[in-house]
Amino acid sequence: MHNRGPRRVGGCLEEIIFLSALDKPVLIIGGGVAGLAAALELDRRGLASLVVEKGPNLGGQARGFCCKALEVCARCGACRVGDLLQQAAQRPALGALTQALAVAAQRQGAGWEVTLIPQEGPKPTSPALALERPLGERLLVQTGAVILAVGHQVFDARKKSRLGYGRVPGVMTAGELEETLAKGGLPGQARRLAFVQCVGSRDQALGRLYCSRVCCGFALRLARLARYLEPGSEVTFFHMDVQDYGQAWRAELAEMRAGMRFIRAIPGEVRPGAGGPLAVFAGPDGQPQEEEFDLVVLATGLEPPVAAPALSEMFGLTPGAEGFLTGGQGVLVAGSAGGPRSIAESIESAAQAAASAAEHLVSGQAPSPEVAHA
Amino acid sequence: MPRPTLCWVAAPGLEGLEPPALAMAAGLDLDQGGALEAAVVTVPEVQAPDKLRARLLGRPVQWLDLAAELGGGGEGHRGQRAAAALSRAAGRASLGTLPPLYSPQPNQRVLVAGQGLAALAAARQAALLGHPVLWALSGDDPAAAGAGEDASQVAGLAAGLPEGIELAPQTELTNLTGAGGSFTAWLKGPQGTARQRFGAVALAPGGAYRAEPAPPGLAPDLSRPLSACQPASLASAQGWRQVAILAGVGQPATAQGFARALATAYALQAQPGVQVTLLFREALVAAPQGERLYRQARQAGVLMARLGDGEPRLADQGRTLVWQDQVLAEDLELAPDVVFLCEETGAPWPGFLDNNLLWPARSRLLPEHARLDGGRTARAGFYVLGALRGTPAGEDRLAEAAAAVHDLHDLLGGGAAPLPAVRTLTCARCLTCVRVCPHGVPEHVEDHIQPAPAACLACGICAAECPAHAIAPPGWSTAELMEGLACGLAAAPAPAMVLMACGQSAMPAFAELSRSGHVWPAGLLVLPLKCAGRVGLELILRVLSLGAEGVLVAGCHEGMCRSVTGNLRARLATGQAAGTLSDLGLGPEAVSFLHMANNQPQALAKAVEAMYARLGAVE
Amino acid sequence: MRLNDCDPSFKHEIARQPGGEGIKTCFACAACTARCPVGSLKPEYDPRRLLRLAILGRREEVLSSPLIWLCCSCQNCSEVCPQDVRCTDVLTAIKNLAAAAGYAPPSGQAMARQLAAHGRLLEVGEFENDKRAELGLPPVSEQPGDYQALLGLKPEAPRPAGEGA
Repeated sequence: MHNRGPRRVGGCLEEIIFLSALDKPVLIIGGGVAGLAAALELDRRGLASLVVEKGPNLGGQARGFCCKALEVCARCGACRVGDLLQQAAQRPALGALTQALAVAAQRQGAGWEVTLIPQEGPKPTSPALALERPLGERLLVQTGAVILAVGHQVFDARKKSRLGYGRVPGVMTAGELEETLAKGGLPGQARRLAFVQCVGSRDQALGRLYCSRVCCGFALRLARLARYLEPGSEVTFFHMDVQDYGQAWRAELAEMRAGMRFIRAIPGEVRPGAGGPLAVFAGPDGQPQEEEFDLVVLATGLEPPVAAPALSEMFGLTPGAEGFLTGGQGVLVAGSAGGPRSIAESIESAAQAAASAAEHLVSGQAPSPEVAHA
Repeated sequence: MPRPTLCWVAAPGLEGLEPPALAMAAGLDLDQGGALEAAVVTVPEVQAPDKLRARLLGRPVQWLDLAAELGGGGEGHRGQRAAAALSRAAGRASLGTLPPLYSPQPNQRVLVAGQGLAALAAARQAALLGHPVLWALSGDDPAAAGAGEDASQVAGLAAGLPEGIELAPQTELTNLTGAGGSFTAWLKGPQGTARQRFGAVALAPGGAYRAEPAPPGLAPDLSRPLSACQPASLASAQGWRQVAILAGVGQPATAQGFARALATAYALQAQPGVQVTLLFREALVAAPQGERLYRQARQAGVLMARLGDGEPRLADQGRTLVWQDQVLAEDLELAPDVVFLCEETGAPWPGFLDNNLLWPARSRLLPEHARLDGGRTARAGFYVLGALRGTPAGEDRLAEAAAAVHDLHDLLGGGAAPLPAVRTLTCARCLTCVRVCPHGVPEHVEDHIQPAPAACLACGICAAECPAHAIAPPGWSTAELMEGLACGLAAAPAPAMVLMACGQSAMPAFAELSRSGHVWPAGLLVLPLKCAGRVGLELILRVLSLGAEGVLVAGCHEGMCRSVTGNLRARLATGQAAGTLSDLGLGPEAVSFLHMANNQPQALAKAVEAMYARLGAVE
Repeated sequence: MRLNDCDPSFKHEIARQPGGEGIKTCFACAACTARCPVGSLKPEYDPRRLLRLAILGRREEVLSSPLIWLCCSCQNCSEVCPQDVRCTDVLTAIKNLAAAAGYAPPSGQAMARQLAAHGRLLEVGEFENDKRAELGLPPVSEQPGDYQALLGLKPEAPRPAGEGA
């Protein structure tokens, strides 16, 4: 069991070296913002870790986000992913496996033995970083503590069928608009933009009785960026309440209010119009009113990760509030896997997960870490 | 001058280039395994094999991430660009600056000043990581919770305090100087004031509730702070029938404050005969369980009333609140028996940080800044936690304290950049460096400039601003940069242009483009910097005088510079350079500045292209 | 309007009616208003407004309002409501309260009278039965008893076995 000689665990030689020569007392499932931040925080404590990512790239969903600064930083945190990847590349004790899926876990003393299998999937989208090594074959990892950082999934806007997503041309999610803006501009000749908030959030009927917390800031910054990129464009913001993000945000919000139309009502329907999607909403006089836009952008909420039930079962965790993950003995949760969190909050929560994992390693008499071939 | 040797470490992205030919083109010896005087290595330091690193120990080395600089194009094109980049690195290496062999050890002691969850968590984590901790408590009890904190959570943490925490009850931090690795703190306790040395300081005063201002004109006997309704049964005892709660009316509320108002409204509404009206501008439901609390309160029968700007108006000698209902568009009036005002937790900004020449203004020390999270401030090794920072009680405070302790552990364990070198003979003691360093590194001690041992991030602002060239992080002096640029420009084909690239924004974006095969102009020479703040007027003008046709400075967007003002200083310098050029009758378009983030590579590519187009137009 | 003069128990009273449970959870997002077909025909009709009046406790104003009777029970509002208020059912509950308080609209009262008298909304007399006989249809007799029981005009009579439809 304690044989530390190089063993043929993966397809290529490099993999053998980096898995067996270093102790990886903490296994981090998920290589997004929270997973990377947890690995870095552990490294700052002097603890090595192994990040396991099911996709081909590290950085998670936030890697596709765009910078929402005009001339001044909007504090959206999107560039923090780049920071984390850069820092991670400078920390040799940090290991990562991509295209690897944790499929089983068994308690071993105070720690865990986790089975990883290679995940067939799409090829990496951006040039591979030195850190991004795909898992070759099935692998057993013995670890003192596990950090779950599997992120969230975005609400499927098709479930709010009246809002036209997937049916009406010109209706897109805020995430899709973000991708478009990241590539450099608004789609086509979009000049009249409508944002619909709380799609899949604050919704008892859907069983989602929570605020997704990030969407107000996210959507308004996107709207502001769109107006900046296309100076003539008009933005209508359909919302219930605008959430608060601190002192600097309030000043920004006051400016946004001056430059955009804020309507405190949620449209009941979006249908195809003559020149674009047609939104039906309650006008100021309490009557249904129709207005045509070029783009209707749905601010879709954050949902528990797809893997939450499977991981809860694997590690024997009790499901948390609203279906998000909660921790257990030797299992910690970081980032939006534990509840809706912004990028900055995910990074901070990773620090706490790392600290708790380290404390567990000391108090739980974790077994010496070991990697074995299954 | 040592003659640098080219150490070629096989790295992805350099295929097709022949080391001997490049070494010759750049005027370097190729590594044959013999003795080395100085070296240029073509990969980042972390990727170099241990054997090479051991061989290079104690010798001047330039680590050049060549793959990040080259980009695509034909072999000849890439060869030309590689030769220029290698020449640049060789020039810098040939000056042979080494990090100081001796630097003072950072003090490992940690001072935690304050009380409550944040202070407790910080003290605990620092002690667990082996730092001797002095915890200056404002009261006597380490298990005392601050306002809004869960007393049982605090008590639970305090029950198992690790070894290595020295408690100093009833002690107040009254003054502080220094930076990471070397702080001096004045602590006022029951026995008087004592001066002590620390490596890092975390300030985490316990929070207190502060009620929002009442609407002007409200009858003073009506209003009370929210905590004055404990217990809820008070409502029946007082015979209140109509209770109003204002949340986020006199000033913006936070999600935590609003959640507390909702919970209180719910409890009061359950009292027989009581009708609660909650008046607010926005329902802030982003706190944990916020939306559930909001729904529960409505279900219990709490009336929700949204106010517009300037509301509520007051009537009947300040005893009646008037506002327009947003659904009905007609005025509603409420004559409440009592008005509760929502409370937020906070702590006063300590006096010694204000009106003190040694500390920057709050907006500069603790800007709302994406890169200054985890309790950090601009001053390395100094942390502001919990209520003073406005962090919500609960898990967020624990996370912030943990992040802060990880940061200080890293800094004190050697994570900071090597100490800036100070040339005492040239230094005029003008204290410019003390004034401009955002991290508080240089300190004026006994007529010397003495850098704090674990605080420097090598941003180079001091080197850019020092009028006597007396201070610079090792390897970042103007002389070294200019030697490198002179060699690089000599090797770069015309028209040559220099991109001064911030390491937080422009350089990662540049590397990403290079790795994905973007073809850069042959004469584009990159100067990778830690921070754009290293760029000064002098550097730009000297680069132009060396024959560069253009200089593009690329730094972070305003408000995201890790060194707070590095980007603004660089922008200012660029503007000054343009001004100087037009004074001289030369084209000011030869210099420009770009604000960008590391995820905006296209903006950088466009700016480089535009600059080249302008250079072509000028010619 | 002074809230001190409103009736805070009204919303609880509606919530106690079958179907009225959701009233208090409305947070006035106006999705129902946007989807209401009656609202697009009759400008004064706004379901959100009716709910708001009820929540504020303006009992008489709501119960006496002719607007509450305009709901066409299409359930569009229930479909889009994020808070599961079930606006159509809430309005039904309000209508019941209004009727109990004597606010049934004249047209509704006339229909009730007609039902009580004839068991149908139209009177079937000899003329109609003669026509039916010509067409080979059996005669129809008026059986207002059940309706009288339903309308509370007489105690409910046990229905003879086999009498369906």
